[in-house]
Amino acid sequence: MSFKVLLPESEDELMTMLMYDNAELMAGGTDLLVRIRAGKVKPDKVISLAKIPDMDEIVDKGDRIRIGCKVTHAMALNSEIVQRNSPIMVLALREIGSPQIRNRGTIAGNIVNASPAGDSLVPLYLSNARVIIHGPKGERKLPIEEFIKGPGKTALSMGEYLRAVDFEKTGDWYPVFHKVGQRTALAIAIASLGMLIKKDKIRIVFGSVAPTVVRAYKAERFYERVNGDITVMDEFLERCLEYLSPIDDVRASAWYRKEVIKNLLKRTFDSWRKRVL
Amino acid sequence: MKLELTINGRVHSVEIDPGEMLLDVLRRLGYKSVRRSCNSASCGNCTVLMDGKPILSCTTFAARAMGHNIETVESLSEDGKLHDIQESLLETGGAQCGFCIPGFVLTTKALLEENPEPTEKEIREALNGNLCRCTGYESQIKAVLNITRKRGGHVNE
Repeated sequence: MSFKVLLPESEDELMTMLMYDNAELMAGGTDLLVRIRAGKVKPDKVISLAKIPDMDEIVDKGDRIRIGCKVTHAMALNSEIVQRNSPIMVLALREIGSPQIRNRGTIAGNIVNASPAGDSLVPLYLSNARVIIHGPKGERKLPIEEFIKGPGKTALSMGEYLRAVDFEKTGDWYPVFHKVGQRTALAIAIASLGMLIKKDKIRIVFGSVAPTVVRAYKAERFYERVNGDITVMDEFLERCLEYLSPIDDVRASAWYRKEVIKNLLKRTFDSWRKRVL
Repeated sequence: MKLELTINGRVHSVEIDPGEMLLDVLRRLGYKSVRRSCNSASCGNCTVLMDGKPILSCTTFAARAMGHNIETVESLSEDGKLHDIQESLLETGGAQCGFCIPGFVLTTKALLEENPEPTEKEIREALNGNLCRCTGYESQIKAVLNITRKRGGHVNE
């Protein structure tokens, strides 16, 4: 484990350093340093964001919220802007790691890790998030679904970094977030489910059951077509299950993951029905 | 590189490798209450307070601590008298082998500063990043509730 730590003090300096060979960018380090220690990545240089001023903005942008790349999970959780306008984000962030992890880990870090189990990705997919990328050619924006390409793979190219993310306010939607793991804290999800419901409209996102977090658009459209009257739960489930391509791994089997999602969906709709009736 | 670290109110001037973790530097300086166990951000034993907030020193660069106040359990007892959090853990049997206790104590301290009258659920949430293999947690939860009571607060049971 020998690497150099670089501490750029401005975004310009950062961009120059990102052109170096075998350099990894670090914000909170809760993930990168663990992977380095496990020998999964062997960078020559670690570029820390610690000394770059700002980058930790949480801004009300009208119908969206913008979060800078140094915003930790705890900062977002304690933000009044987030609490008021994105209850789904609050639900998911509370399930991340532990207080210690939330004090250091960042939402941007969760995004660039591109793990199908990233807890904060679920509310971001539900809220039509866009990532704001800075690089040698200036700024570009991408929907999060185009940014995350696969496990650990993103659309970032050489010299680029994720500067911020913005996402829709969804304060008037009913939020649902379920995470099934081996224990409550510090566990990577075996399967997770996020939903936003508003009358006959719905948004549905699954975590840990496909190469990326996925949004079940066909099931969303079906729900709208039947005006939210899913007495035909099986048809709805079928459309959801199309998006699932889980794997067998150390945490759970593919079969189990599918069963978990089915049960979570059924349970959610049962309680939703009781709420509405 | 040369670094100034403020630990428990005392300023240390220390020579470090830029890639060194806070955990290693703290132990090198003699703060042995900071425990290494999983070394991979999973167990909470290496918890220290940075500006009053619990963080994991096994995955925080020592260099990152510059300009911040670091607190370890060494700062808690005065003249051989234990802090009330430590005292309370002893009373309930919350410290068995004791290995995880420094982390527990610091996380509890941060919790009680933010929320002096936590409910059992809030205590469980706040402490869920500190693993203990002896107790089953009941005694620790009870200890924290007892502190609230002893400090004259309302216990939300």
